Amino acid sequence: MLQLRNLRVAIDDQEIINIAELDLQPGSRLGLVGESGSGKTMTAKAIAGLLPDETKVSGSVMFGGQNLLELGDRQLAKIRGKRIGFVFQDPARSLNPMMRIGKQVSEAIRLHADLKGDAVKAKVIELLQQVQLPDPEALVRRYPHQLSGGQQQRVMIAAAIAADPELLIADEPTTALDVTVQEEILRLLISLSEQRKMSLLFVSHDLGVVRFVCNQVAVIYGGNIVEAGDIDSIINRPQHRYTAALLATNPGMPKDDNFSAFIGRRLQTITGSVPAVGRFPSGCRFRNRCQHASEKCATTPPVTASSPDHRYLCWHPAQGGQS
Amino acid sequence: MTSSTTPLVSVEQMFFHYPRAKITSGGSGWTLQDISLSIALKSTVGIVGESGSGKSTLIRVMCGLLRHQQGTVQFNGKDLSEYQDDGANELRRQNQIVFQNPRRSLDPRMTIRRSLTEPIRALQNRTPDDDELVTSIKRVGLGPEVLSRFPHQLSGGQLQRVGIARSLSVNPTILYADEPVSALDVSVQAQVLNLLMDLRDQMGLTLVMVSHDLGVVSRMCEHIVVMRHGHIVEAGRTSDVLSRPSSDYTATLLKAARAASLERS
Amino acid sequence: MPDTTPAAGRPSLRKRLRRLPITLYVGGTLVSLFVLVALVSFVWTPYPPNTLNLFNRLAPPGTPGFIFGTDRAGRDVVTELMLGARNSLYVSVVSTIVAMFLGSLIGLSIAGSKSVLQGSLTRFVDVGIALPGILTALVLASKLGPGNTTATLAIITWQVPVAARVTIGPARQILALDYVEAAYGYGRSKAYVLRRHVLPNISPLLIVLGSVMFAAAILIEAALAFLGVGVQPPTSSWGRFLNETQSLLEAAPYLMFFPGVAIVLTALGFNLLGDGLRTVLDPQQARSGLA
Repeated sequence: MLQLRNLRVAIDDQEIINIAELDLQPGSRLGLVGESGSGKTMTAKAIAGLLPDETKVSGSVMFGGQNLLELGDRQLAKIRGKRIGFVFQDPARSLNPMMRIGKQVSEAIRLHADLKGDAVKAKVIELLQQVQLPDPEALVRRYPHQLSGGQQQRVMIAAAIAADPELLIADEPTTALDVTVQEEILRLLISLSEQRKMSLLFVSHDLGVVRFVCNQVAVIYGGNIVEAGDIDSIINRPQHRYTAALLATNPGMPKDDNFSAFIGRRLQTITGSVPAVGRFPSGCRFRNRCQHASEKCATTPPVTASSPDHRYLCWHPAQGGQS
Repeated sequence: MTSSTTPLVSVEQMFFHYPRAKITSGGSGWTLQDISLSIALKSTVGIVGESGSGKSTLIRVMCGLLRHQQGTVQFNGKDLSEYQDDGANELRRQNQIVFQNPRRSLDPRMTIRRSLTEPIRALQNRTPDDDELVTSIKRVGLGPEVLSRFPHQLSGGQLQRVGIARSLSVNPTILYADEPVSALDVSVQAQVLNLLMDLRDQMGLTLVMVSHDLGVVSRMCEHIVVMRHGHIVEAGRTSDVLSRPSSDYTATLLKAARAASLERS
Repeated sequence: MPDTTPAAGRPSLRKRLRRLPITLYVGGTLVSLFVLVALVSFVWTPYPPNTLNLFNRLAPPGTPGFIFGTDRAGRDVVTELMLGARNSLYVSVVSTIVAMFLGSLIGLSIAGSKSVLQGSLTRFVDVGIALPGILTALVLASKLGPGNTTATLAIITWQVPVAARVTIGPARQILALDYVEAAYGYGRSKAYVLRRHVLPNISPLLIVLGSVMFAAAILIEAALAFLGVGVQPPTSSWGRFLNETQSLLEAAPYLMFFPGVAIVLTALGFNLLGDGLRTVLDPQQARSGLA
């Protein structure tokens, strides 16, 4: 239901995003994983049409048969909120501190749904219940600062799904939250996605979180998608060297409670650091940091599929291309 | 004066509240309540908890930056209040902190060189020469070029290394790290954690690390302290506490952490 | 392998000078111009001070011998402007510098004081701001007599609470930052932290504040001159000149432009200079600039 083709974003003549192909199926949950500077947030913004004016965008973002990149501001505004919902990272900053909760959620409803008066109030209560907030009747009169971080984020989610969108884009929605709260919010997102057959684009730097929530994943590095497909296949048998390295550097938690084997063992690292925009090498963007790089890597690797739902761009894949 | 069994830091029934907090008869208002724990020399201890648990406040009380209202805190067998004048400087020298956000922990108007010399100037009354600074900066894996730079010219990972170099420049006995890798990317986290492990071994440091991330703590720390709402919920060897938690809260934390983590062997 | 951005070599002096912000040049030029004019007035003016050309009163600009014309008493405008520069610059610069110094000192001290005291101390400052400056000036004038010193003192009294109030907020913000905590961690005193960490980091704010206060000072000086608190005739002042032109709007409407433009350009010059200084002193902007 969402198809990115040849999406290119440039600022000041520097190309920062170049995505040949990325698909999101209806009802599916796709994690877009990358570190800072990878372009994951920019990609989400490109889909939403929220890029700053100075950027040059080309290619197509097909949603419901329309190319979002070709739509004018007014048409985009209609789609945003009604058919695509957004949840951002820091709820404290996305909620208006001067407005009561009820009013903020009802604004989202009024903008996109055809309800008036009491029907709006009822819908607000219903939404707050759906995001599992206790005592919604009391909550509508409260201000954001009177709620905990987790509750604020639930309110954000309520506002985002108010118009029953087909797609929900969430950018690091749980990064600022405690781990127990995070689990609840993630479970909420999963259940909302399943109940409403709503697709989810989950942008994150955390592979562990993405594994919990998503069934598909796309790994982005230097503005390119380097590997994409079924989450279990990619996490268990990563092909692209960056994906493999990213997995290796993740501290994770020990299997079977074997904590004593964990302690004191050094973590694997990736040599060097992410280059600044415009300083990436030609061909495979990761080759300067890759231990397995060869001269071949100076040319961009083609898309290879190790299985129908696992594609990558690497000349020297980690599993030898075996699925 | 201290036997090998005297802990380096010892806390007994300590209570702390911030200056303008109102303490009610029900006990609320205290940021830290009834804290008792000890840190052995050269051990590595992880303090975990969620926001509001008081973990960051705890290390500041333990190293003497904040003064507690009740209970005792001892460093090297001596009560913190007994470190006066020159002793106060010595206490500061032996207790150093590494902060969470590398961009906030260095003065943006000072060059790296200047930031690095500050602790030595303040505590040892001398200005180190460039040779000493270069050794310091190389020890954390950076090159001498960074000395003339300003913080905004370095990346988060580089800045965090500078922060570590700065706190180690005075050869402390114990290093408190307040969420040292939370603000960094995963791959950079690994580099900085490895660095901390290496330095700890090289310099014989006692390391106390505050973190909300159980995965990081289970990698780095043989001992763990679990905190909640200003109390210590449980404490002990990491492998014991995490494989057989005696508290429901710890079990909840573990479950949530596992859910959002990758399983590694 | 350590990853470092390559160090920039030091470019030539010419290149570094060209990279300086234009505001610094324009502002610096304007300010220097007026300072120069003020200084020159001590050794030379087109006409000796207070020369009354009674046959050439209210001469329009362009009258031979009087490029900008003359005022109601026949005094040459150019001479008046030059002489007035002395006073206006003296009063505004001195009062602004002293007010900034005292104000920031007070502000920093309050920001660094115990949290229980801060509320009440800040209220004191607020009271200071609320005191009507004009009244203070009049009281001072009645005690000390009118003149430059009175005007300067009045402006200082007026501006110090403002400078203090503006400093408190940002200073407190800096004090809450980690690098300040780190400084305490290696034994630095609060006074050191205020001097070496807080002050440099609020200096952009102070520079901007100074430029604004200077512009205000010039205008206040003009107002005080009108009220008879500032310099008295025959001493010249732009403010007094400006106020005299008010009653001449029908007879000589062009006259007010001269002191008016002088005031505006000087204030503008200080503003631009302040902005340029702020940019130059910011480590994030001055790559290989003057630093």
